[in-house]
Parts: sequence; C-alpha cells; structure tokens
Amino acid sequence: MTSALLLLQAAADTTRAYGEFPVIGARAAVWVAAEVHLMFAAFVLGVPLFAVVAEAIGVVGKDQRYDRLAKEFTRLLLVAYSATAIWGAVLTFLLSTLYPRFWAYLTAVFGPSMWAYVGLFFFESFTLYLYYYGWERWHQGRSKVVHLGLGVLLNVWGTIVMLIANSWLTYMMTPPRDITPTTDPASIKLWHAIANATWMPINIHRLIANVVFGGAIVGAYASYRFLAAKTEEERAHYDWMGYVGNFIAISALIVLPFAGYWLGREIYQYDQSMGITMMGGFMSWLWVIQAFLIAVLFLAGNYYLWIGMGRIPGAERFRPYTKYLLMVLVLGAIVWGTPHTMIADARELAAMGGSHHPLLGALGVMSAKNSAVNLMILTTFLSFLMYRRANTRPVVPWARTGTWIQAGMFGVAALVVLYFGIKGYFVEAIVRIGYSVYQVGAVLACIVFVTTIDILMGRGAQSLGAIRWGKMPARSQYALFVLAVTFTWLMGLMGFARSGIRQHWHVWQLVQDTSKYAATPALGYAAKMISACVLIFLTLVAFVFWLGGLAEKSTFVPGKEKEGARVGH
Amino acid sequence: MWGTNLRIVLVVLGTLALYTLIANKIPQVQSEVPQTLTLGPNVTTEQLVAAGEKVYNGAGGCTTCHGLGTRAPNLLTDEKGQGPIGARCGRREPGKTCKQYLFESLDNPTAYVVAGYQPIMPVMTRQLPAEQIWAVIAFLESQGGTVDVTGTDIPASPTGPTPGASPGSPGALAGGSTDPMTLFRAAGCVGCHKIGAEGGNVGPDLSHVGARRSAESIRAKILDPASSTARGFERFAGIMPKTFGATLTAAQFEALVRFLAAHK
Repeated sequence: MTSALLLLQAAADTTRAYGEFPVIGARAAVWVAAEVHLMFAAFVLGVPLFAVVAEAIGVVGKDQRYDRLAKEFTRLLLVAYSATAIWGAVLTFLLSTLYPRFWAYLTAVFGPSMWAYVGLFFFESFTLYLYYYGWERWHQGRSKVVHLGLGVLLNVWGTIVMLIANSWLTYMMTPPRDITPTTDPASIKLWHAIANATWMPINIHRLIANVVFGGAIVGAYASYRFLAAKTEEERAHYDWMGYVGNFIAISALIVLPFAGYWLGREIYQYDQSMGITMMGGFMSWLWVIQAFLIAVLFLAGNYYLWIGMGRIPGAERFRPYTKYLLMVLVLGAIVWGTPHTMIADARELAAMGGSHHPLLGALGVMSAKNSAVNLMILTTFLSFLMYRRANTRPVVPWARTGTWIQAGMFGVAALVVLYFGIKGYFVEAIVRIGYSVYQVGAVLACIVFVTTIDILMGRGAQSLGAIRWGKMPARSQYALFVLAVTFTWLMGLMGFARSGIRQHWHVWQLVQDTSKYAATPALGYAAKMISACVLIFLTLVAFVFWLGGLAEKSTFVPGKEKEGARVGH
Repeated sequence: MWGTNLRIVLVVLGTLALYTLIANKIPQVQSEVPQTLTLGPNVTTEQLVAAGEKVYNGAGGCTTCHGLGTRAPNLLTDEKGQGPIGARCGRREPGKTCKQYLFESLDNPTAYVVAGYQPIMPVMTRQLPAEQIWAVIAFLESQGGTVDVTGTDIPASPTGPTPGASPGSPGALAGGSTDPMTLFRAAGCVGCHKIGAEGGNVGPDLSHVGARRSAESIRAKILDPASSTARGFERFAGIMPKTFGATLTAAQFEALVRFLAAHK
C-alpha cells in the first residue's frame, strides 16, 4: 500500500515536471538544441582566440597577410554569433517548457549568474561589432593597439560567458557534497555551486577544445574557398589559410588529452562509481569509438601535411620516411582502439574463454593505449617538424649536432614511453596510473626542447625555394573536410559521455529524472542523434559562410613578402 | 562548381554515415533506471533467477566491475580455480550458507573483500530494493550452485530505496516503524557502524556516540555526512549517503537521533 502511494506520488510529481514535444520527444528536442547551440558557441569562442593572435602576429611582424586572415576569421563570427544566440534561446525555451521542475531548480540555484550571463553576452556582441567594423578605421598606430585590445576584450567576455555556462552543467554532474536532496536550492550559495569539483577541469578542457574546433571549421571554410577559387592568387591564399587552420587544430589537439585526463581524474575522485560507469560500465564501448575518431584525426592531419610537402621545394628528402610514420600511426590506432573493459554476459564470457580476449586483452589495457597515443603524438610532431624544415637548410655551425640532439630527444622520449608502458604490466593499477604522467612529461619535454632547438637552428637558414602555395591537389582539401566533420562528431560524442554518466539523474543524486526518457540511451541511438546535430550544424555553417561571401568579397590580398625561407606561418 | 559541391556533400555524408554505422554495429547497452520488481511470496525459482539476471546485467550495474577480473572477482566464470560464484559462495565464510554470504556481501560489502581487491563496492541494499537484492542472490546461486532463495525471503515491506520516488518524497522505511534499532538496520547504518556487538567497522563505532556528540550534532551529521569526518576514517569519507533526510520520516529521523544520543 505504501509503495503504491509512493509510486502515485512519483507519478504526480512527474506529471507536473515534464512537458512533451511532438514526434521526436522532449529529450531529443533538448538534445538537438543543446548540441547545436554548443557547437556554434565553441566556434564563436574558439575563433576569436586565434583571430586576435593572428592580428597580433600581423602587427608585430608587420605582415598584412595575418591581419587580413584575422579579419576574415572575424567576419565568419558575425552571423555565427546570431546563430549561437538563437539556438541558446531555443534551448532555454525548450528547457523551461519541457523540463519545468528541473529548470526551476536550476534557476533557483543559479539565477543571478544567468542575469550576469545575459549581460556579458550583450557586451560580447557589441565588442565584436566594434572589433569587426572598426577594423579599417583603427588600422595603424595607436588606434591599431586599441583595436587589438578590443580583440582581447572580446575574448575576455567570451571566456567569462563560457565559465558561467560551464558552472551550470558541471553542477549537474558534481554538485558539492554537502548539498542533499532536501537542501532548499534557494539557500545554496552561488559561488559554492559554481566552484564544484569538475568546473575548472571542464573550463580548461573546453577552452582548448574550442580552439581545436574553431581551427578545424576555419580549415574547412578555407578548403571550400580553395576549391571554389577562380585565380591562382586566391587559391594560394586559401591554401595558406587552410594550412593555418589545420595547424591550429592539430597543435591544440595534442594538448587536449592532458586536460581530458585531469577531468577524468576529478570525476573519479568525486564519485568512483561515476568514473567506473564512464570508463568501464555501459559507456565502455564509447571509448573505442573515440579512439577510432582520434585515429582518423591523426591520419587525416598527417596526410594533409604529407601532401602539403609536395608544394615545398626540398621536401623530397623527407618523403621516404612518411611510410614509416604512417605505419606507426596505424599500429598506434589499432592498439588504441582495442577493446578491453567490456560488459559481457555469461555466454560471451564463455565464448572468449575468460573475462578478456586471450590475445587482445593485453593490448586493451591502459599501459598499451597510453604508449600508443603518446607515440602517435610524437609521430605527428615529427611530421610537422619535417614539414617545417622542408625548404630550409640550417647554416649554423652546430646544425649537425643540433639535428642529432633532436633525434636523440625523439629516441629518449619514445624509450621512456615504451619503458613505462611495458613496466605498467607488472605493477598495481594505482602505480600504473602514475606512469602516464612520466610518459606525457617525456613527450611534452621532447616537443618543447626540439622546437626550441629548431627555432634556434633555423636562424638565417638557407632557403631551398618558396612554398608554392595553391599547388595542392584537391584531395588534400577533402582531408580538411573529414577533419572538420570528425572534430564536430567527436565533440557530440564527448558531450554524450559527459552528460550520460549522470544516468537517470538531472543533478547527480539530488534531482532524479523521472520522465519516460530517464534511461540513458545506447551508443547507436546516441550516434544517430550526434550525426543529426552535426548535419544541422554544418548545413547552417555552410549557409552562414555563404552569407558572409554575399556580404563581402574575399579579404585576400597578395602577400608583399617574397615568401622565401618562410614556411607557412 | 556543382561537381565540387556534390563531392563535399558526399564526403560529409559518407563520414557521418560511417561513424553512425560503426556505433550501431557494436554491442548496444542502455543504462536502465532501477525499477521496482513485483515478486510475491509465490514467485518461482525460474522467475527469481530471470529477474536477477536482468538486474545483474542492467540496473544493478554489477557487470561494471564483476566479470572483468581486474576490479572485482569474476562471478559468472571461474575465479582462481574455485568455479563460478554459485559453486564457491558456500565455502567463502565458515558457518555461513551461500545465501547468507551473498546477502551480507551485498549488504556490507567491505566486510568480505576478497584478497587482492580494493573495497570499492557500494552497499547494494541501499541502491536496490529488497526484491532486486534477493533476485540477484538467486541468479548468483544459479551460477554453478543450487538456488534456495524463495519468495519468503523477500520482506513484505521494502527495505531499500524506492526508485522513481521524487526527491523530497519521504519514504516509509521499515514499514514506517519508529523502532530505532529496526531503523538502524533497515536504513543500512549497521552495514558500516557498530552498535554494541552488531554492525560493521567501515564507519566509527556508535556504541558511545552520545558521549561524543550532542543530539543536535548527530542530527546535523546524518543530514549532512560531509560536514565532518571522524579521525581514522578519512579514506571512507563520502561513502555515507546524504539521503536519510529524504528516506526517513520526521518521526523516524527523530527517533533515531534520540536513540543515538542516548548511547553515552
């Protein structure tokens, strides 16, 4: 009787708590609105970061190409901002009508921060208008510095807006421990709710991911303009722009996993069962898909670099090595994508002959996977280094020694990665986790020191000829499209992982999801939703870019420099 | 130009289709919401085992750790030559039947941590209703052993959480009883805390808690377990549920507080 009364009470609560959306249902409607909003938001937060850096490089290096590039980046933002705001409004209205009780809870906790969010978005929009429309008016002298300051300010507003929104979603995952289901939401101190366990890791992760994402979308834009270019000069400009977009995306991607590790560790420390659900529970297959996607990113990014070497005089001497690099990347991808911790029923376990597949079980552990991904990062860095040095020959007296030191650093980093990878099989899990820090440290140290030596060694280097910008086969440009689609899809997948580990809770262990959509769907359904969101986003982005092209002609200007020894950037 | 546009569209759609296809070809696992089972006293062994298997592979989340061999012992397959769990459970603790051992392992998992594994298992009697607990035990017994769980093992009133109940809805733990020791057991306190000779040692011994804490302090600690952590128990910080304010009625809660405060 009591149970029946409780169920009736739950049913009554549920009736008041949820609305219904035609055809696709409430959850799918909110999913699409949130995801597409987030994709636009990532774009409009990531692009200003490197737009202002490009402008600064143009000012310091007195290179108009960078200034024009920064302006073209910013032009893409104008319409994208409106789209971000529209999708944000759609999300807000859907949440307040389809999940009114949860929305009331969230606003009770975060109300004042929502007002601040709206205010900052206002400032951000108008700073953007000033930044873009004032470009030609404030283009030299002190006024250019003021203009640059506007770009910095634009990023400050955008970052604060992101930090505020991140606090809402991270609170849903990791509300502070002292808040209980009976805590009056209005009594929760705002800063206490904001500064929850995963807030800062998400902030850093998203900041970097936005740069990756922005770079990839700009790369896709440039590749489209490259393919549509009518003159050689225009093609050269967009070839260069595509290179810069890809360079930014891949460079930031290399750092992203480290921020991801931090986030994962915080989730584990907050609630071990949540961490286990994420890595070994019903979401375990998700990481195999993620590994596949990142392998595509590494392969496509390297492929683009290797094809790009065809337009660089002197690059022929590096070409024989690319097949070995490809081999390392493919092997790394296979190891990284090896399943290990899987949900299996008794029949499946019996078929495997144990809890793990006898052969693949050894490759599916973190020791092997961490080693594989670190070697893939090293390989990608080596590709970039070859690309960078392709049309130059160092003339400093210590050039030969420097090159050997660089090679030695690569060798030592690879050995450190392999040593701790193998040793990880013979120690306890808690010790093994610590080894990943040494592996990552070795790779990062290699990247930093080798780059420093390369910059010093490149001083006054002899040019082997200018890069023939624009002399790229069309297939290289399709690699940039694959990169953009994959980055976008990966973003949707990771969003599903982050949100899905809450399972049937709106706010983890505080506000339960009692709607008919409370069960967290399987990966197949999620994949269809992600693909739909990516398609909507890319269609709208294509429209936005087309609009941008209607409003203004290309900002391309012929480069004044001789493009001698300079490679790319 | 139309040819280029078409190729771009094909590349984008092809990439999306490939990812969607791969994600749909792998095993599909949905995270289910814990549901209340309706297993009456006349439930058959087959029904119990079938229900238990569903909970084990679904809402119970057991497969997250068990069956992988690294976080927790394998239950459905052989573990160190002792056979599956149904075959070995009766030999695990001297004097305990398989059924007793399995129930206590779910109710107080830290009491029987198998050598070589960490005490990471949550108290399942707090996570699942009694019907599901007993169904899981029946399923585990069926793995190489004899199922002796019957409908009479399932208590008439729920002793675990009530899935689907909204936050803030007061539960009727132990059938609404205000007997403090009944509550102490039904709410799962006994799984971690000792009173007299009864209880676990994951949390502080509460036999003399009244001498250390006032009624007000005990009340605050139950409602907000994270407010303080007893010295020597730091590694178990965060384990105590913060839901007692919601699962106990006011009368039950106050009865429990008075009971504990009186233990000086």
